[in-house]
Amino acid sequence: MSGEEYPFGIKGLVGRGGLLSGRGVGGMYVGDWKVFMPKIDYEKCTRCWLCVAYCPEAALSKGEEGPQLDPRFCKGCGVCANECPVKAIEMVRE
Amino acid sequence: MPEVDVMPGNKAVAYGVKLSRVKGIALFPITPQTTIVEYLADFIANGELDAEYIHAEGEHTAMAVAIGLSLSGVRAFTATNSQGLAYMHECVAQAPAYRTPLLMAIANRTLGWFWSIQPDYSDVMPELNLGWIIQFVESNQECLDTVIQLYKIAEDKRVLLPAMLCLDGFYLSYSNERVEIPDQEDVDDFLPPYEPKHAVDPTVSDFAPAAGLPTQLHTTYRRIYEEILHDAKQVIKEVNEEYGKRFGRTYGNGLIEEYRCEDVDAILVTMGSMTTAARRAIDELQGEGHKIGLVRVKTMRPFPSEEFRRLAEEVEAIGVVDRMVLHGTGGGGLAADLKSTLYSMEDRPLMVNFIAGMGGDDISTMDFKKMGERILKAVERGRVEREVEYIEHPFKPVSRLVPFKEKRVIYPGSGGCTGCGASIIIRHLLDVLGPNTVVVDPPNCAGINYSSVVGVPWILANYAATAGYQTGLYRGYKLKGKADKIHVVSFAGDGGTVDIGLQALSGAAERGESIIWICYDNEAYMNTGIQRSGSTPLYARTTTTPAGRFWRGKAERPKNVPLIMAAHGIPYVATASIAFIPDLRRKIKRAAEITSAGKGLAYIHIQAPCPTGWYYPPEKTVEVARLAVLTGAWPLIEIEEGRVKLNIKPKKLKPIKEYLRLQGRFRHLTDEQIEEIQRWVQESWESWLKLDEMGKLPWYR
Repeated sequence: MSGEEYPFGIKGLVGRGGLLSGRGVGGMYVGDWKVFMPKIDYEKCTRCWLCVAYCPEAALSKGEEGPQLDPRFCKGCGVCANECPVKAIEMVRE
Repeated sequence: MPEVDVMPGNKAVAYGVKLSRVKGIALFPITPQTTIVEYLADFIANGELDAEYIHAEGEHTAMAVAIGLSLSGVRAFTATNSQGLAYMHECVAQAPAYRTPLLMAIANRTLGWFWSIQPDYSDVMPELNLGWIIQFVESNQECLDTVIQLYKIAEDKRVLLPAMLCLDGFYLSYSNERVEIPDQEDVDDFLPPYEPKHAVDPTVSDFAPAAGLPTQLHTTYRRIYEEILHDAKQVIKEVNEEYGKRFGRTYGNGLIEEYRCEDVDAILVTMGSMTTAARRAIDELQGEGHKIGLVRVKTMRPFPSEEFRRLAEEVEAIGVVDRMVLHGTGGGGLAADLKSTLYSMEDRPLMVNFIAGMGGDDISTMDFKKMGERILKAVERGRVEREVEYIEHPFKPVSRLVPFKEKRVIYPGSGGCTGCGASIIIRHLLDVLGPNTVVVDPPNCAGINYSSVVGVPWILANYAATAGYQTGLYRGYKLKGKADKIHVVSFAGDGGTVDIGLQALSGAAERGESIIWICYDNEAYMNTGIQRSGSTPLYARTTTTPAGRFWRGKAERPKNVPLIMAAHGIPYVATASIAFIPDLRRKIKRAAEITSAGKGLAYIHIQAPCPTGWYYPPEKTVEVARLAVLTGAWPLIEIEEGRVKLNIKPKKLKPIKEYLRLQGRFRHLTDEQIEEIQRWVQESWESWLKLDEMGKLPWYR
């Protein structure tokens, strides 16, 4: 085995921890953490995008009719619902 | 009657320390040691132990405090492992020469190169040969018993040397076992108070230990210390025997423990918790009629050479299981010691060295059985096929990553806690700085949780040296003409900034390195489990400043690090909050502009509310951050080229109670304590107002 083969860490080793792989290759699937899930009322939504700015997991993104939720990355923390100025987001049991 | 309880190894160590009536405890948290000092904090907070408890700002200091305590003539304790032990190495080397019989518990954990929090002995390996007494334990009961024994051994006037107790991280530190807690009176009788004749006390004498020696005496003193260590073997045996008489438990002869070694052809030699699985393997092998026994090395230093020479005469082969590799020698540390011990024998047994269990890899009974069979084969053939064998296990990667088509600076999802405040910061930070960013990150929860989901280089820096890594990278890019194109940014927690990382940060600021320092301040060491930091607010409850009968949370006010940084005369200092995102993003952008222009260090201190450590429901993360600003607990300030500006100036600050009552870490507060906090916040707010009015700090040109 030559030193050149494995310069840093283990090649192709992906998973939790840049401590191992040095660099990520995608988003971490955490959708199964949640108990409650945001339900967005697009009638009420004013597209102020505060929920998008505050979402710790970037599970919310800007969409045409309002914030779009990617449930694969939502942990159900409820920050979006708590911060929505017009209460357009409600946390509902999955 | 001794009490019996079920507890993890770390608690057993804490009980041992309590029963030994230790008078001074110096600490800095590191997994998997931390709960030892947390249990001790609980004992003190509730009045069960009367001792000075010193929250050091790094391990280097923790060891120095322990030596100082011991020099002053009191019984001292500290605990660490791995990176922390390596960081205190210099002080560890000082302790034997000062003849300080302190005790340090090491909850073993591998030493980076590749980081892990799981155990092997690579952390103790560099400390083995400094003159300490070093013992390895197998069970939680032995943790407790060994603490008491080691104080007796270390403080014996024939010895007077520091001692290390090594327990395997996780395997012992966090695993529950039945532990018998001896009665305090019996321990008091066994271990009298420490009253040294040689304490440094100018009211009694002008004695002080020598730090230096004439060149010609160095060799002589090395010999003398070697003889003291050698003679300590006798003391270890005596103490082990006396402990057995009083408390009914001995561990071999105190140096080694033999297991089913009668009439055997071969022995397996182990250390620490792995021995338990090895015992079962020996049982099975002997059940199958094989003549193989087991020897556990309890005392690694001084090395039990006489015992092994005696055993070597009786057997034909020895198998040595090593959880440490002496890189470049081709084998393990225990095997190297054994080989050099047995070299002078005329008829030496065969030896096979097994390297196993590195980084916490489990060594099963099956593995030990295979090792046993190898040795028996060597006995049969009369020769060894391979001197060193690595016991390796297959690795199956499990990924939780969802692949993305397009490249991003940071991907959604992370391992962070639900409602993590730091998560909001890192996303906006990288979004503003863009892809040409190198994140330099001291060990913290962000490193564990976000380094796997970023699309930019993320460099793990050693805790105290983050600004050093940044400096090197920045100067390198400068040489390549790319300093204005690449942002070198830290993502340090409050520990990495205001405590252990401050020295390197201060150096970089003074040298004018054009790097960005981001401190995400969750106001305690959250990665190791919510211990007090220099940034923890007044009276907040943490695991090392618990609220008990005697303690009411952290007694001190936090450091004002933004102003300390401004004292360096750096071009940009700011605080920010996740509740005010446009302000936060503007400040990051400004910092990037200033550093890209090569003007010097830009420092941004951002409050990162932590639902796990502050004990509030996760949806309140931004609400808590907003209240911190509106009550004056977290003033948003900006100091550009010395001009101080308070960014958010509410006409009337909200009462601090509104901020405190949301958080469980302040639930224990009395009305007087709340008033005191209100006073502190008010004073700090008024100071910033004054500075804001003043316009420019006078030391800026």
